[in-house]
Amino acid sequence: MPVVGKPLPHESAIGHATGQAPYIEDLPPRADELWVDFVGSPCARGVLERIDADAARALPGVVAVLTAADIPGHNHWGGVVVDEPFLAASELAYVGQPVVAIAAVDRETALRARRAIKLHVREEQPVLTIEEAIAAGEFLGAEQRIARGDFAAAWKSAPHRLETTVTIGGQEQFCLESQSALAIPEEDGTIIVHSSTQNPTEIQAVVAEGLGVGMHRVVCICRRMGGGFGGKETQAAIPAFLVALVASRTGRAARMVYTKDDDMKVTGKRHQYRADIRAAFDEEGTIQGVEIRFHSNGGAFVDLSFAVMERTLFHADNGYFIPNFDVVGRVCRTNLPPNTAFRGFGGPQGVAAIEHTIQEIARVLGRDAADIRRRNCYGIGERDITPYGQRFVHNTLPEIYERLLASSDYAERRRRVAAFNAESRTHLRGLAITPVKFGIAFTATFLNQGNALVNVYTDGTVQVSTGATEMGQGVNTKIRQIVADEFGLPIEAVRMMTTSTEKNINTSPTAASAGTDLNGLAARDACEKILREMRTFAAGIFTGGETGLGTDPALIRFRDGRVFDERRPGNFLLFDQFAKRCRLNRVNIGARGFYATPNLHFDRATGRGNPFNYFTCGAAVAEVLIDRLTGELVVDRVDLLMDIGRMINPGVDRGQVIGGFIQGLGWVTTEELVYSPKGHLLSYSPTTYKIPGVDDVPRDFRVAFLDNARNTHNIYASKAVGEPPLLLGLCAWAAVKDALATVAGAARAVPLNLPATGEEILRCLTALEAHVTALPGVLAPAK
Amino acid sequence: MARAELRFYLNGEPVHVAGDEAFLTLSEYLRQRRGMTGTKIVCSEGDCGACSVILGRPAGGTIRYESINSCIHFLHQLDATHVVTVEGLSRNGALHPVQQAMVACHGSQCGFCTPGFVTTMASLFEQDEGRRTQRLTEEELRDALSGNLCRCTGYVQIVEAACSIDPASAPRMGELYPDKAMAAQLAEWSRDEVRVEGRDVEGNELLAYLPRTWEAAAAFKAESPETLVVAGATDLGVQRNKGRIAPRRILGLANIDGDDEVRIEDGVLTIGARATWTAVERAIRTILPDYHRILLRFGGPQIRSAGTVGGNLVNASPIADSLPFHFVTETELELVGTGGTRRVPIADFYLGYRKTALRPDELLRRIVARLPRGNEVLRLYKVSKRKNLDISTFTAAILVRLDGARIAEARVALGGVGPVVLRLPRTEAFLHGREIDEETMREAGRLARGEITPITDVRGRAEYRARLAENIFVKFYHDVAAEHAHAAV
Repeated sequence: MPVVGKPLPHESAIGHATGQAPYIEDLPPRADELWVDFVGSPCARGVLERIDADAARALPGVVAVLTAADIPGHNHWGGVVVDEPFLAASELAYVGQPVVAIAAVDRETALRARRAIKLHVREEQPVLTIEEAIAAGEFLGAEQRIARGDFAAAWKSAPHRLETTVTIGGQEQFCLESQSALAIPEEDGTIIVHSSTQNPTEIQAVVAEGLGVGMHRVVCICRRMGGGFGGKETQAAIPAFLVALVASRTGRAARMVYTKDDDMKVTGKRHQYRADIRAAFDEEGTIQGVEIRFHSNGGAFVDLSFAVMERTLFHADNGYFIPNFDVVGRVCRTNLPPNTAFRGFGGPQGVAAIEHTIQEIARVLGRDAADIRRRNCYGIGERDITPYGQRFVHNTLPEIYERLLASSDYAERRRRVAAFNAESRTHLRGLAITPVKFGIAFTATFLNQGNALVNVYTDGTVQVSTGATEMGQGVNTKIRQIVADEFGLPIEAVRMMTTSTEKNINTSPTAASAGTDLNGLAARDACEKILREMRTFAAGIFTGGETGLGTDPALIRFRDGRVFDERRPGNFLLFDQFAKRCRLNRVNIGARGFYATPNLHFDRATGRGNPFNYFTCGAAVAEVLIDRLTGELVVDRVDLLMDIGRMINPGVDRGQVIGGFIQGLGWVTTEELVYSPKGHLLSYSPTTYKIPGVDDVPRDFRVAFLDNARNTHNIYASKAVGEPPLLLGLCAWAAVKDALATVAGAARAVPLNLPATGEEILRCLTALEAHVTALPGVLAPAK
Repeated sequence: MARAELRFYLNGEPVHVAGDEAFLTLSEYLRQRRGMTGTKIVCSEGDCGACSVILGRPAGGTIRYESINSCIHFLHQLDATHVVTVEGLSRNGALHPVQQAMVACHGSQCGFCTPGFVTTMASLFEQDEGRRTQRLTEEELRDALSGNLCRCTGYVQIVEAACSIDPASAPRMGELYPDKAMAAQLAEWSRDEVRVEGRDVEGNELLAYLPRTWEAAAAFKAESPETLVVAGATDLGVQRNKGRIAPRRILGLANIDGDDEVRIEDGVLTIGARATWTAVERAIRTILPDYHRILLRFGGPQIRSAGTVGGNLVNASPIADSLPFHFVTETELELVGTGGTRRVPIADFYLGYRKTALRPDELLRRIVARLPRGNEVLRLYKVSKRKNLDISTFTAAILVRLDGARIAEARVALGGVGPVVLRLPRTEAFLHGREIDEETMREAGRLARGEITPITDVRGRAEYRARLAENIFVKFYHDVAAEHAHAAV
């Protein structure tokens, strides 16, 4: 029986539930193992003048205290621009930036040493915000732009114009497992690095660079991560390098696990953005042109900020056909930790900007924003070219709107919300639908490749290793299902192996929602190579000679654990018997597979091309309740409809959709990064940084899927699922804006920024109600 | 002769601990000393639940099991208890029904939070009275799982897993670990005075003393100002894990007899200082629904099952959620010292930011609050960034005694707007004798704003807190008006 399409449990589920699935901190220690800690910069910007580490070195149990000078290779790394030091040598660029690495016999001693080390620095005035960076001319890289049509002309002739600015907050990934790594020295200068990373190949490369050895002397292994969400795409590098450095210097095993506080303080997050927007539209709400100037807070080093900004520009249209479109983006250099990937990768900020714009257009025109959204939705066969020239084929958004507005009873609830707001003196309700159209592929075309190793053993069992890393998203579960079906085997016969750069070479990060697409297809390619050999051999067994059947390998079947010619299924071999025969007859039953997504290209010079393989689409409706006196927000009900094609594992995929949505909900409501004026993150632990809890899940939460078998661009007509649902969290933010628009009316903008914390909502209400005395606002001065 | 080692059970096996290990947190002991790595550490501050284990304490011939955070629970708090970890739930290779359900319902993604959810969920099948017969409901799980964070799943499949469990299939701890003999042993151990010594990595002397009586406790405390009094340690554990404090001389209240119960008699609520918030919550559910509502938002169940009322009050945080209630109910605190006991009105107990009137030898023993009477209306408010498991930005208690529509007396206490919880005498005086209506309460809000000096911090700006203080009076008016309108129907 095929298993693709079945909601099989996560391949590690039993290990998760029993606590027996090990993460890096759980691996049994080697007897000589050292614990590694670090000392970070005490200031956001400054110059390191002296390191006073004598007291630390003298502590019993301290084995090594290492600085930039101890790094044998290059002390700089970076996936795009090599600009970030492993250990700062002189210039200090953000609070907590690693300066000294400590290795000690246990973690208490390492911590003692950490406290005993004094950094003498000359502090300088940091640049922390986007506004400060713009004023100081502090940027990373050049401006990026995607444009078409003539915005200036559209603006000039438009019946309605809107100018608006919105700031969009960053977000901490908050992986439950913090950054962690374990290095084990082996013979001949080889280092094995266990890293909690989405990007083993990059870890291998940067460790080799930093140690000044060839990549063939470094193996990076990742069995699983306790969450990734983009936070371990590049930023696993520093801890991985530091343990490798210690292992290489001391010849001892070395392990490092950031505390949650350190992890939150010193690693990058989702970029904070500012969007300055102009929109031209007509009386009906048809958008004639949009211009957006994005600035992101990149932090101190480039990391992935250019690619994140590029994806912002690619998603600033979201699901809307905008004939005159001019968006530019610039990354600000600030003295914060380098901001990095986080599920959505710039897409959420682009979509937030355009959804903010749509809500404002609706408010100005006194219309329901849902009407504006449908009116401007991409068409089918017409109005379907994106600003970067890619045709949006298989557009399911119109169908999604139609179904979701009906199933969520939107029109009737809109009436009820209006009636409630006319009545209540203490609360406000808001309602909104927002769509998502998320482009699937790395926008850096070369990354759209995957490789896999499939080994069939003589007892009929199979091991699969791919470049995909498992961070909870279920990529290994899905690939296991694909491979089981290729060989017609029960799921138990297939085992997913640890991702390792020894087996999976030159891999792309597991990111861009493309883990299953790329690595699943690579695994299938490997299976196909093996099956080709097997079919030829099997045809010799089951056909010709006395069988009376003509030999045709194409008619050999692998099904239900049996191998046979489809013309005579009664004559079969069990797969294990067959595998054994393969070996005895010197037939190769192991293979490496490869996949490269075809037809992708993008010309950055012209801003034109076909950067995406396809789009994952969906929409969500949120209804919210706001306490006008405290600003407290409750997201009462959410209806969500996704088109993720034919699901390889509906249980896994549903989990991705719900989990992604709730993460997006956190981003737009309670997750607020608060910094001190000197650049110290104040909300650096779950006490002060509030990700959603179980009671923040909407009480009425309806999740549905569109049955769509038309996505011929991908394996089994499935679609990538990881990131897109996160962007639907914006429906709750839009619903808050909808509620506040009741108070603002047509004349006053809703000054809501993102996230819509209770404080932010109350700030807006206070500002709006001070000017609107006619409404039943309880905060309004009495007449 | 005091016993010189800790004794408890771990997954059914007796454990004796002495020396430095007694001063470790339970999670450190499990992971680093016992190699039991199923229990995960994320925040080390009791705010994520990944380290949840099930703690059994002797209770009247049996053992009562509750989920706690092992990262902020010290071994010296575990004397005479039974700890069950995730490793202790699957017996003879068979998964616990909670584990089976999590597997079948896609309750795990990355898996790092999963053991904490599993242990917490398993503890929900423990009931005081016989076997649980009802399935878990989403509504109760919204509270019961509020102390466990998951970043992957969005909780829906975890809740589905919990709701799918047939309670008849879920073994109680007493079935996994026959509790009769164990309960007797725990009760016996809990009657011991315990004194454990050790040395930390720097060679400093460590001492944990678990007396049997308040008198012995007071005498021990008086010996040294370094003494840290430990009941639930839900704050001390955090401070220690964050390196802000190095506890060396511990006075543990675990084995003191009594003063862990909650009594309601003749309109007076008496809470033993050792009572956990879970015990309070059970006792006041129907009689003080507004206090109960606030308690559920006080912290996750793990915190409420460890943290005590006494600890909360003596810790003297200006945003302690329990304080405004006790200020408006004019609670008295019974303090015990080497020279006997005395009672102090709560308003006189707090001298400044985290400063109290406790003398060097004194300990808080009992809390005595007068319950609101029939003509008194009490409302409690807590505003925080996230609804549950979040430290307050602002807290308030408003109590008015009504004479018809007229306010005969008003008592107002606000938290998070100054270094201590504040009563607002000018606002109270203004309200006295006035008709309760929206305009009056709006004016009261404006006055209240002038009586406070909120600060800007990570939880909110000063202006936000001032606005909340102002608005809360109008909110009170609407809440009371709505209730009266409801009552009239």
